[in-house]
Amino acid sequence: MNQTAKYQNRIELLQGTLDMLVLQALLREPMHGYAIAQVIRDRSGEVLSVETGSLYPALHRLERQKWVKAEWKLTDSKQRAKFYQLTALGKRQLTTDHQRWLQMVRAIGAVMEPEVQP
Amino acid sequence: MRRPWERAKENLSEELEAHLQMAIAERVADGEEPAQARAAALRELGNLPLIEDVTREGWGWIWLENLLHDTRYALRQLRRAPAFTATALLTLAFGIGANLGVFQLLYAVILAELPVPHPEEVVRIHAARSPFDQSWTISYPAYQRLRAATPDVPLMASAYAQNATLDLPNRAPIEAACTLVSDNYFSGLGVAPAAGRLFVQADERMGQGEWPVVLRYDFARNTFGSAQQAVGQHILLNDRAFVVIGVAHRRFLGDRTGYAPDIWLPLALQSTGALAVPWDSLGPGHDVSLDKPWYNQPTIFWLVLMARIPRERRAAVLAHWDQVFRNDREVMTEATADPVVKAALLHAKIEVAPLSENGMRKRFTGPLTLLMALSASIFLVGCLNLANLQLARLHARAHELSVRMALGASSGRLIRQIVLEDALLVLGGSVCAFGLGRAASGILVRWASNRNSLFTFDLHPNLPLAALGVGLMLLSLLCFSILPAIIFIRTGVAQTAGSGSRIAGISQTARQRFRSNLMLGTQVSLSLLLSTMSGCFAATLVHWETVDVGMDREHVLIVRPELHQPRYTDHSEMLPGLYSRIQERLQALPGVRSAAVEMCGGIHCGWITSLYVHGRSDLTDAQVHGQEDHVGLGFFSTLGIPILRGRDFSSSDTDKTQPVAIISRAYARQLFGDADPIGQWVGYVPAPNDHKFMIVGEVADARVNGAEREAPPVVYMSINQNPAPINSIRVRAVGDPRQLSESVRHALYEVDPALPVSEIVPLATELNGDLGTEKLLARLAGIYASLTLLLVAIGFYGVMSSRTAQRMSEFGIRLALGASRGHIEMLIVGQTARIILASILPGVILSIFAVRTASHFLYGSVSANLLVIIAASLVLASAGLVATLIPARRAAYADPLETLRGE
Repeated sequence: MNQTAKYQNRIELLQGTLDMLVLQALLREPMHGYAIAQVIRDRSGEVLSVETGSLYPALHRLERQKWVKAEWKLTDSKQRAKFYQLTALGKRQLTTDHQRWLQMVRAIGAVMEPEVQP
Repeated sequence: MRRPWERAKENLSEELEAHLQMAIAERVADGEEPAQARAAALRELGNLPLIEDVTREGWGWIWLENLLHDTRYALRQLRRAPAFTATALLTLAFGIGANLGVFQLLYAVILAELPVPHPEEVVRIHAARSPFDQSWTISYPAYQRLRAATPDVPLMASAYAQNATLDLPNRAPIEAACTLVSDNYFSGLGVAPAAGRLFVQADERMGQGEWPVVLRYDFARNTFGSAQQAVGQHILLNDRAFVVIGVAHRRFLGDRTGYAPDIWLPLALQSTGALAVPWDSLGPGHDVSLDKPWYNQPTIFWLVLMARIPRERRAAVLAHWDQVFRNDREVMTEATADPVVKAALLHAKIEVAPLSENGMRKRFTGPLTLLMALSASIFLVGCLNLANLQLARLHARAHELSVRMALGASSGRLIRQIVLEDALLVLGGSVCAFGLGRAASGILVRWASNRNSLFTFDLHPNLPLAALGVGLMLLSLLCFSILPAIIFIRTGVAQTAGSGSRIAGISQTARQRFRSNLMLGTQVSLSLLLSTMSGCFAATLVHWETVDVGMDREHVLIVRPELHQPRYTDHSEMLPGLYSRIQERLQALPGVRSAAVEMCGGIHCGWITSLYVHGRSDLTDAQVHGQEDHVGLGFFSTLGIPILRGRDFSSSDTDKTQPVAIISRAYARQLFGDADPIGQWVGYVPAPNDHKFMIVGEVADARVNGAEREAPPVVYMSINQNPAPINSIRVRAVGDPRQLSESVRHALYEVDPALPVSEIVPLATELNGDLGTEKLLARLAGIYASLTLLLVAIGFYGVMSSRTAQRMSEFGIRLALGASRGHIEMLIVGQTARIILASILPGVILSIFAVRTASHFLYGSVSANLLVIIAASLVLASAGLVATLIPARRAAYADPLETLRGE
């Protein structure tokens, strides 16, 4: 891998974070957009609040890339909503994203706390 | 049915709505007031339409949506301006269509190669010119010798036969163009069959019961439904049995441009006499037996040669052939007594000529190039016209456009919308143009054809044609839409941005006015060019159609009977009696002044002969050669050819008495100078047999080869002294000869019920039969001239209307201040007049230059055609002025009150 490609990978890692969070949220069960936002907010201890304006473009992007598939269903409160479900492709993508993210955290950690490094 | 993107859009709205509902529901569940909850949820959600937009952009087809919006908008705009739309569509259809039509013809005639592999290897072989016709034909024995000398070089021979009658069960007989070809013709050229097989060596066998034939693809399809169905069909051609063995490849139309045989037959068929084949020979007295098979006669020249030789081998092959052909050259020298000609014949070498070098290309390259140039100018006029109309139209829309720009529309989007509008026009126009072009090239072929033979060209759409079409489309789009739109958006809108009243009163800047005047002026100049050319071509055509041909062309009818049947040919001694019965019966008809029989059927029929004068051995070939015709009694008075000296043929001239001849003035001058030819002895061959005929008369010259060809030297013999089947009967009428057709046909039936009449045609039509080029030029140029005239009128009307509309308030004020209506009218008309005056000079220069370049196709000098130029200028000027009068009138009746109220 040459220098440019490495650099691009790093940028992608930052940008792809929302996609990764969405995919992770969908890992256990199909969910609609509102629930995804809730899950991310709850699990992050209300730190990460996903803007609707970012969530839906992201969901449609993931759908176009065939990482999730969507289906109209009724919620428990009889509300018609679009449920997103992780595909096999999506699962593989999540694994890759997760790996990269870990790599990123380690790298940033190494930069921020050099003395911890052995 | 709903479009998929609209459904997707609704889905997205529903999805976001669901999100909102859930957020509200949760807040309400948490105990908030419903109204408050809704407001909070909406706040949290943010700008809904923006979210939808951002999400949709991710779908990647937002541009398509925009395009559809723009298209719908464009269609609405076009519908709102039906006059402009119609003008643009028609202009484009004609402008592009004319170019496509002419180019297709130009391509088929001049540029297209023979549709065979390696067409550059195929060449015509010019061995020697035949003694009389000067055609590149050789004898069958010579062909066999040449072919045997180089077995590895495919040497193909062909002979164009006269049309034959094809009889099919339950169908009217069809006239089919036939060509005899050698067995290696198709294999040597590399033509593939579309069905069945093509000729092989066995097809050249003599004496076959059922001869094999190959059909042209389109002919097979039109006659039998398809190529496959044609194979195996048994047909009757000139009452002889044939079987169709195959159909040639659909693109193969023969080796001579324009002349496409319907049926190809083996050369050996000649021996049966089933088809009439043109020939030349050493002349009478050289052991020529036309009735016997020609394959063993070295003195009958009838085969045209073609060979496939790679360029690098040509020199060697030709040198070898020259040796083999030496003996034949010596035989050919016997046809002449002229030592110079004899020496030239012996020293000639066999040459190759490209296949493309044929009469068709030579004849049409000039006219078609000229027409292409005229077509290009009409396209240019059309584009200029549309560009000008477009600018005027944009000016009228300036207010709308500037408001839209002020509201935030990007200039790119505006230009895109305008261009899209025009792209739709161009697209619509081009579709019409392709249809028009296809139809036009068919019509052009018909116009260009001779009366007796319709040309056949390969008019299939091809790549160069498509490229030209698309190129013209893009060019027109650039000229009349993209450039005006950019110019306008850059300059126009910025200046017009302002209050409504200022926009209404704003006039074009001097530069804009100059630009549109320049465009109008260029149109006028080009139109003048087209009108002049059209006038000149029309004058040329009229000249040839009315020129003195030395015959009474308006009153003579040509009747063509079919006497080439054994009933007549086997009993030639009966023919003089039949001819005199025909003449008597026809002359008894009311409205007939006289009638006579003739061996010639029409133009191009007199055969080349030679007359040697008794006691003169110094005559050259150029003096000796002339045209020969055999005629019946009363021929000269029937055609209106005056007898200058001596006498006409009389009933006392029979095959028992001294053979006599009558020569035309030109022939007499050629042979005797100004001396009296009467009483001189002449013969077909040099001494000692040079006194067979005695000249008894001299007649005036007549243009028997067609109105546009010089009168040839002709010798007339009496048909009663050489009884043979005639090819025409000439009937001179008192009034319109056409009205006699039926009574003549009826009278002939009474004389001989078994005698078929194939055609009855006025002499004028026959003499004009070869004016194809002139007709093509005159008609097409005429159409172009009227089109440009119309375009110029529309151009002036459009531009002047737009200008007066912009100056309406000014006129109102002028009127209020006391200007007369006439004065206002003159203001507008004066503008047009100035433009026309300024552009006529360059137009005249252009026209003179064009007339000079095209002088080859025109009758009369440049100065004679000056009258046409002046007339064209006048017509053009009046068209422009009349078109301006309408807006001028409108301006003159501007209401001053309305203007003042508007201020």
